[in-house]
Amino acid sequence: MDLLTLAVIALAALLLGLLAQRPRLRPARPPWPARMPYLGGGEPATHAWSRFHVRYYPMTLLLIAFEMEMMFMYPWAVVYVAEGLKALAEMGMFLGILGVGIVYAWREGALRWQ
Amino acid sequence: MSDVLLPTLAVLGTLLAGAALVAVLDQAAAGVIAGGPFRGRLSAPLARAALLWLRPDATTEHPDALLWRLAPAAYLALAALGLAVVPWSAEFVPVRLPTGVVLWGAVEALATVVIFLQGWAPNAPLPLLGAYRHAAAGLSYILVSMFVLIAAALPAESLAFDAVVASQEDLWNVVRQPLGLPLFLVVGLGIGVWGPLRFADAADLAGGTTAETSGPRRLAWALARGAMLVAFSAVAASAFLGGWLGPWLPGPVWLLLKMLLLLALLVLLGRLLARIAPGRFVGLAWLVLLPLSFADLLWAGVLALYGGTP
Amino acid sequence: MNWLRALAATGPVPVYAAVGPGMTDEVRRLALDPVVELVATPRHASVLLVAGAVPPSADAALRRVHAQLPWPCATLWYRSRPFPELDYPQVIEAPEMLAGALQELHRAVLRGPRGREPVLLPDVPPAPFEGRGDYGQGGEGMMGGTPYGRPMAMTTDDLRDGLALDKLELSLGPFFRGLPSGLVLGLSLQGDVVQRCSVEAPPYPEPPAPPFLQALERPMPIAALELARARHHLGRLAEALDLAGLGAPGRRLLRSAGGLAPGRRLRWLGPLVLGSGLLGCVGTGHGRLTRDQAVGAGGPAARAAGQAMDARTEDPGYRQLGFEPVVQRGGDTRARWRQWLDEIDQSLRLAARAVDTDAHTASSGAVEGPCGRLTRDGNPPDLCPVLESILPGCEWGEALAVIASLPLAGTMMPFPAVTA
Repeated sequence: MDLLTLAVIALAALLLGLLAQRPRLRPARPPWPARMPYLGGGEPATHAWSRFHVRYYPMTLLLIAFEMEMMFMYPWAVVYVAEGLKALAEMGMFLGILGVGIVYAWREGALRWQ
Repeated sequence: MSDVLLPTLAVLGTLLAGAALVAVLDQAAAGVIAGGPFRGRLSAPLARAALLWLRPDATTEHPDALLWRLAPAAYLALAALGLAVVPWSAEFVPVRLPTGVVLWGAVEALATVVIFLQGWAPNAPLPLLGAYRHAAAGLSYILVSMFVLIAAALPAESLAFDAVVASQEDLWNVVRQPLGLPLFLVVGLGIGVWGPLRFADAADLAGGTTAETSGPRRLAWALARGAMLVAFSAVAASAFLGGWLGPWLPGPVWLLLKMLLLLALLVLLGRLLARIAPGRFVGLAWLVLLPLSFADLLWAGVLALYGGTP
Repeated sequence: MNWLRALAATGPVPVYAAVGPGMTDEVRRLALDPVVELVATPRHASVLLVAGAVPPSADAALRRVHAQLPWPCATLWYRSRPFPELDYPQVIEAPEMLAGALQELHRAVLRGPRGREPVLLPDVPPAPFEGRGDYGQGGEGMMGGTPYGRPMAMTTDDLRDGLALDKLELSLGPFFRGLPSGLVLGLSLQGDVVQRCSVEAPPYPEPPAPPFLQALERPMPIAALELARARHHLGRLAEALDLAGLGAPGRRLLRSAGGLAPGRRLRWLGPLVLGSGLLGCVGTGHGRLTRDQAVGAGGPAARAAGQAMDARTEDPGYRQLGFEPVVQRGGDTRARWRQWLDEIDQSLRLAARAVDTDAHTASSGAVEGPCGRLTRDGNPPDLCPVLESILPGCEWGEALAVIASLPLAGTMMPFPAVTA
């Protein structure tokens, strides 16, 4: 029942967001000059969609490692108090190893270029 | 039916009213900071909203029309999902989910996607730059948020927000885990595209992802941003300020007061702090904020095992 | 829907200002009017304000901006010559009528579409594509042709890490809000970072304030000169704050610039600007001028690089007041911003002291203007080649901050015959 409520809330908000944009059945098509991307009067040479040079790609690899660790932390948080010091030590080790990863990324300059 | 309808109305009503309140607070803060004559300042957000409703939709040469329509709506839906798991009192939670913290994590991650889509869809250079800049920040602050929320969930031994609130009966988490709320506020500025972390809609990109939008679509985006800030303030109030706990006044009133406090704080930070350079923020998030959140988690863990009444 | 229109009409008028030569100060004054809201992109605006006589070289750009306002919209021509194709252009000359005229036009736009203002460019895509190519959308092969009117971006090598990905080429036009008006930059971007920058058109010249021009002819009260200098620096700082997203503090600076009087000290300025983290927008060392570039630039830019070049040291009037030029170390963007803050403070202190002693400038051969040394027949230096050498490698936000910190427009002054 709760998941149904959740789904209804999400769909209702989605619908509200769509209606707030006043979508029309026949959208007006402004002339071509009106649709040019805004650049203060200048012109772009190409479409914007491109193989954009994402400078922070090394950081995303580090993020994936930490995200996997996050998945383990969710159930760990629930059983932590019951498990006691052992749980703290294990997670501390896990975080320590990943922390070494951050330091490595920092020294290699992965966090410097974007 | 009423246990589906009532929560839906409560959540959507709070989001809409809260988004309007954010606009009014922002206008008031801007007016106080800028100085000068005080003419009709508090009604200006409503007038602007009416103007945006009446203006036409602008479009570009070859946008992704479907994604451009979905992005603001999905942003609003994510805010609604986030607010739905926050308890209003000991009895009323719109959606009683045992893994509310996980849902909020998903909301934060998807918010980055949605903001990126808002910049990708118009197929124009300035919005695209805003989108990619925001993605860099979004991938950096999400870990901070998760560690801080896990630390708040440790004393509750549960990932449900009503348990987190109940665990703060003797002492609020803002006192027990002092690093938590400041770090979480940074995350709030990020997912609301607000203030120092306003990379997606930046002023130096002529509005960034909103540079090519006008009219109702712009209204929907502003509404969704305000709604996301409201949802964030509800989650922060529940995780760190004790949610609906408080003497004399009923639960929902306390929650609203705490949300109001956090919203006012966010609006002030947004108007007084300059936008940080995205590269510096990524460095800051990984090298300063993340280790601080580790420390917060460690402190919370030690406190949960050895501190207070067992 | 009438009540909705009435409600919408009570709000501020969203105006996109296309600023022509010499109009920057007027447009800044307009920004302080609560009736008007200057927006960053024509999509957000309902009225286009063309201020000042836009030269014919920017005609095409103005037509593009004019087309980009979502119709229904209106145009107001303030002290400028409207396009000949328009039948009933709204032209005004007097500054006090400006806000009222904008509001009138906005209300007319809200009332409903009147005669449609013609789009001044032909209604054709940038390149013909209908029915051409392999799939009828103008593309050829994998990435070639002009699908839907524009070519796709192609890969090139990158300055910093050698990874060859797509390059976005664009020309940032004369009416972009983050740039000085008139400046057209041809940018080649890889991702966020400027790879190549070429100045396609220099910014429109901004003449120095009248006190400085008059000081070249006869002794002027030092208080007036220093207040004018503080006003100029406050305006530039407000622009930098606006770029960093701090529109409200920027407007506070502009408001205080309008109300400067000898004796006021603006003690809140330093904490507001520095406490907001404006200097955190750019890293240390970005936009650093070499020693030769700094000496060539003169004015606050040179003093921010540690070169104590100031024409006021040659003036006995200033020496009597105990004037010492303020310098910073570093010569990067942060140093130039700090230099403006320090010079505002110094100017206000000098003005207070000068009013007490009624000091006047003694020599009139050279005057230290707000952007550099002014002489009757000398030509101020051109800083555009400096841009082409320091911008590549800068990220977008840093590039715009560097441009905002350099006195580009002031130095492009084609020196007029000085009229008293």
